[in-house]
Amino acid sequence: MTDSTDNGTESADDQPTRTPPPAQPNYDNTFDAIVVGAGLAGSAAAITMANEDLDVLMIERGAYPGAKNVFGGVMYTPTIRDLVGMDGAPIERYVGQRRYAMLTEEDEIGATVNIGDWHEEPHNDSFTVLRGDFDEWLADQAVEAGATLITETTVTDLIRENGYIVGVETDRPEGALRAPIVVLAEGGNSLVSEGAGLKPAPDRKDVAVAVKEVIEFPGDSAQVIEDRFRLGDEDGAAYHYFGEGAAGKSFGGAFIYTNDDTVSVGLAYRIEDSITQGINPEKRLNEFKSHPAVAPLFKDARTVEYTAKTIPEGGAEAMPKLVHNGALLVGDTAGLVLNNGVHLEGTNMAVESGYHAGKAVVEAFNSIPATERTAGATAAGGQTARADGGMVIPSSHLQSYPDRLEESFVVKNLEHYEWLIHRVTEDKELLFEELPAALADAAAEYFAIDREPKQVHGARAKERVLGTLGGLRGLVKLGWRYRKIVR
Amino acid sequence: MTDNWTVVVGIKQVPDEDDVTIDPDTGTLNRAEAAAILNPPDRNALEAALQLKDEVGAEVIAFTMGPPTATPVLELAVALGCDDAALISDMAFAGSDTWPTSLTLAYAAEYFDADVGIFGEETTDSSTGQVPPGIAAHLDWAQLTYVADLDPRPEDNQLLATRDVEGGHEVVAADLPVIVAVGYGDNDPRPAGLHRKLYAETEFEPMELDAEALGIDPDEVGLDASPTQVGGMDTADPVEREQEVVDSVEDLAAAMAEEGAV
Ligand SMILES: Cc1cc2nc3c(=O)[nH]c(=O)nc-3n(C[C@H](O)[C@H](O)[C@H](O)COP(=O)(O)OP(=O)(O)OC[C@H]3O[C@@H](n4cnc5c(N)ncnc54)[C@H](O)[C@@H]3O)c2cc1C
Ligand SMILES: Cc1cc2nc3c(=O)[nH]c(=O)nc-3n(C[C@H](O)[C@H](O)[C@H](O)COP(=O)(O)OP(=O)(O)OC[C@H]3O[C@@H](n4cnc5c(N)ncnc54)[C@H](O)[C@@H]3O)c2cc1C
Repeated sequence: MTDSTDNGTESADDQPTRTPPPAQPNYDNTFDAIVVGAGLAGSAAAITMANEDLDVLMIERGAYPGAKNVFGGVMYTPTIRDLVGMDGAPIERYVGQRRYAMLTEEDEIGATVNIGDWHEEPHNDSFTVLRGDFDEWLADQAVEAGATLITETTVTDLIRENGYIVGVETDRPEGALRAPIVVLAEGGNSLVSEGAGLKPAPDRKDVAVAVKEVIEFPGDSAQVIEDRFRLGDEDGAAYHYFGEGAAGKSFGGAFIYTNDDTVSVGLAYRIEDSITQGINPEKRLNEFKSHPAVAPLFKDARTVEYTAKTIPEGGAEAMPKLVHNGALLVGDTAGLVLNNGVHLEGTNMAVESGYHAGKAVVEAFNSIPATERTAGATAAGGQTARADGGMVIPSSHLQSYPDRLEESFVVKNLEHYEWLIHRVTEDKELLFEELPAALADAAAEYFAIDREPKQVHGARAKERVLGTLGGLRGLVKLGWRYRKIVR
Repeated sequence: MTDNWTVVVGIKQVPDEDDVTIDPDTGTLNRAEAAAILNPPDRNALEAALQLKDEVGAEVIAFTMGPPTATPVLELAVALGCDDAALISDMAFAGSDTWPTSLTLAYAAEYFDADVGIFGEETTDSSTGQVPPGIAAHLDWAQLTYVADLDPRPEDNQLLATRDVEGGHEVVAADLPVIVAVGYGDNDPRPAGLHRKLYAETEFEPMELDAEALGIDPDEVGLDASPTQVGGMDTADPVEREQEVVDSVEDLAAAMAEEGAV
């Protein structure tokens, strides 16, 4: 404080050049791009553009980036590591252990995967994080790169002139702001993009609802977690559960992720099922937490946070048009989430899409000669695209974004698993109800200790499973139907 | 009066109350780690000043006496619509209590040739409420306290104030120059406009004023010039109370009779 007060004293004299505030500051067309939402996709886009000297403004509705963001979650960081490195990133634990388990109403059959390599850097780029901390950190990296961030400001609409998106409207007084490019990174509940007609309102079969609790244990919560999940100081666990005991009679699953001294537990399933099957998310989550195979993990736990959120999960088919005249859609807004039971991934795709979108914008700016950067020159049909003569960028100049995304793991993964989602939907009862029950019965049979020979038990176990699948032929058919899962 | 009024607004940075904890070992308030915010009652002071700007075109200048780390409250003032803002900062001010604080702010009001000085009811960290009346006393200006609403009368060189009093309200008129303390929560503060917010957060640098600039003799301010002394702080441990649940009124009466309470 001593130093800073000293500075204050000196600078009274160093200030002849100070200009008093203008009566009406105006930032129309002073930023090259406006990013709506400082989540993962938004910050990744902002970092990419700011790194190439574009003037970027991020507009975030929360009190700080991440304040309201909900996810499981495991953050997948390959692209973030390339973009800004992971130094100082606020992570909770690296994922050293995964478990996939089927639950019937009473039984569990599962497998734990614990790979030696995951315990070494970069830890398979999988970390449990708290989004409130992580998103704020990532947005800070964008600010360090030169972007501007304003918070507590909600974008309410887009400004459109002659077929071009030319800026945003916000909830603040004199809240309109113009810029040549708007990147929509508003997450899955994309009211702005839908309201402006850049994407259709989602079909309810393409939307999952997720509920999540953060819980902690009395006493040394971190130690309790390490003991119960068999973890060290820094590694964490990611558990995924399917079957009736997890998400009830719906298409979905449940998850448990360990943070440093709290645990995230939740479930995600199709909104459609929540309506047609009458599932109450809160009740379903409590049922999952009290499943006999799960309850011991949560003994004495208390809930410190409860949240609910939607996840787009239409896959590659439900992906909206990604580029428009003057606008791009990224992350969950573009429907880029993989949620198929085995995978629940959106963070890596959000960052990857933000990165490619940012690159495309940079290329667009570089490809349009300064002299052509005004409305009259670029708008088709000779009409003036912008009343104020500001620069516009037609969607054709942004095409490299969808092209690159198509080539990246993002669309490849979505397409690859598209069929899986279809198959699983068709086979829902078999996979989520009948098969887990059969496997549990079979296991009970197989491991039964009584006075009958093991061979007899083995045969009955096999019969129980094959009976459910429709005999050996049924098993082969099922294997064929799902062969691509390991391809 | 022909030229427009100059209105100064005093604002202060305080620790966010929701964020302040008590260190259980030392019993002291842990303010350092709490987020620093604008003293909430000062929102109402700024709103009252900006209404004078809307109504009679007053020029509004916000100031704070504090370290340079207090600059964000000045940015907020400019974002909300103040024409300018000043940081009043000097080593000589360190340790000032309400007396030299009022004196310093009185000098600042004179420095800006203010017609009206508007302040909050009190701060949420020290909450003495002494600063605005202190300034009026130093300057020998009129003062209006617990003001709910202002009605400017430039033609009469007067400011009318509605004050909440028990059982109703009263309207008081004061000749300029005048010091006003606005009641906490008595008006509805406006949000910052988008472009002003952008300007304030990205480009604005406050004016900086030290003791010399204000014409203050360093001996008049600071710790040595402060008549109050903080003797010490104590935390009170909550007393464990016995608890007992009784099921009916009869049981309660019986229990009280047993204790000899009735
Ligand atoms: C319960 C749950 C569990 C999940 N688990 C995982 C997991 O374990 N691993 C994984 O990889 N993915 C997981 N996901 C998916 C992942 O969270 C998302 O894919 C990812 O957060 C998408 O990032 P985004 O930047 O597109 O959107 P978001 O993270 O939603 O960010 C959008 C941002 O925009 C802001 N915003 C929104 N509207 C406006 C507006 N109008 N004006 C201004 N700002 C606005 C929001 O406040 C927010 O900061 C999970 C999702 C859920 C719901
Ligand atoms: C013995 C003692 C020692 C102290 N030592 C220190 C110290 O070393 N360092 C320190 O920082 N504080 C110190 N303080 C606190 C500091 O003196 C008071 O915060 C200050 O005098 C203002 O009083 P208040 O907060 O009670 O204001 P109030 O009278 O409750 O505030 C009413 C209004 O006055 C205005 N106002 C108050 N303070 C300011 C200001 N600084 N700038 C502009 N407007 C203002 C605001 O509009 C506010 O709403 C000390 C207090 C005491 C009693």
